[in-house]
Amino acid sequence: MIKIQTPISKEVAESLQVGDRILLSGKIFCGRDAVLPKICQLVEEGRLGEYGIDLEGGVIFHTAVSIAGVGPTSSNKPEIEGSFETLSKAGIRMHLGKGAISQDTIDMLEKNSAVFAIIPPVTALLGENTDSQKCVAFPELGMEAFYEIEVRDYPAVIGAAHGKSIY
Amino acid sequence: MGYDNHIVEAVRDTLVQAGSTFRDDQKRAYRRAIEFEVNDTARWTLETILENAEIAERNRSPLCDDTGIPHLLLEVGPNRAVTGEMLDAIDEGVRQGLRMLPGRPMAILGEGVERLDQHLGMDEDPGALEPAPIQIRKIDEDVLRLHVLMFGGGPALRGKTLRIFHKHNTQNVTDELVAWATENTGLLGCTPCVLAIGIGRSQYEATSMMLQAMVDGTFDVQSELEQEITNRVNAVGVGASSLGGNTTVLSTFVKIGPQRASGYRVVCMRPCCCFEPRLASVELSAKA
Repeated sequence: MIKIQTPISKEVAESLQVGDRILLSGKIFCGRDAVLPKICQLVEEGRLGEYGIDLEGGVIFHTAVSIAGVGPTSSNKPEIEGSFETLSKAGIRMHLGKGAISQDTIDMLEKNSAVFAIIPPVTALLGENTDSQKCVAFPELGMEAFYEIEVRDYPAVIGAAHGKSIY
Repeated sequence: MGYDNHIVEAVRDTLVQAGSTFRDDQKRAYRRAIEFEVNDTARWTLETILENAEIAERNRSPLCDDTGIPHLLLEVGPNRAVTGEMLDAIDEGVRQGLRMLPGRPMAILGEGVERLDQHLGMDEDPGALEPAPIQIRKIDEDVLRLHVLMFGGGPALRGKTLRIFHKHNTQNVTDELVAWATENTGLLGCTPCVLAIGIGRSQYEATSMMLQAMVDGTFDVQSELEQEITNRVNAVGVGASSLGGNTTVLSTFVKIGPQRASGYRVVCMRPCCCFEPRLASVELSAKA
């Protein structure tokens, strides 16, 4: 197991290989279909600072955040996978979810020193390893708003890196 | 309104158990899969899912953040009666159970066509989530037993209900089922899967049979047909969390109902996710 702490440097992201098992700790962002296009729009308009959001070295976990907990949704849904490029260029080093992503996306990740990691859908375990959560943008979206959570030892496996995929 | 609290509390606790607890035969199936899994990463995934189940059971907390839509099967013995008040108490038990689990607040607001695009958003109350229409069946045992199942969204997305032309050979039905299961377990993401299959004379009956298959099926005993489907889908190698290996399907549960005098069979297949069937059962006793 490789211990990873956020923020993740380019060097650490580039050192990760497909199949590496990791334990992820630190602050990470959570968002899925509804909010990620809105975050991309903020990036493109240069307005992230208005929300106090800094994506450099960050992780995006593709999940809703509700009283039931967190758990990955499919990352290959158009609005989620469509966010990878903009967010990677804005500093995101790890996209965390599940499901196979396209070769174009995998190649784009390589160019931007980012990786895709797969997290098992283990809500109860993740709940025990989540220390705090706060909504940082678009609260009107409820459980699909943009959240920042602080986590300890989230288990994951690197699914795409350096142009290769585990699938 | 005064509900029968015996029923309300029994249903509430049963729903929480369904959403938070692996059955004993389910745990045994995972342990067997872990023992025989050849892919290291897939084995790690299976171990993590089992560890998650142990934590959820200990904390009485959701196995998955998609806590699911309640589906109910009520079994009625020869001398038992079901009243409207009893069904109201069951509904109240479901509401309280969803709040206690807690269920994900995902009841879509609005009526009719307003619900289709979700533009009114969701109710913040987990208890606002309505259960699916209750299914009732007769049993020989003289009890009133309720089975509570929580149906997640992924398997609903990847499920299929359609006719299969049998051409007077069961193998044709089996081959088509394997093809459906192979395609959809590859897309499911949350494998290992349990294939719940119902076969009947109409879409309605096939789906009812699928639900009964989830209640009646056991991981410990597989029919020849069930084992063949499991083995053939596993041979494709999708694996746990689609990471490869030999555990795409943990078990297959098939329920075959009455059949139509025709060249086709109506088949409903639900590729259940790695936590399903999320099922718990309780005998109900009404107040005196």
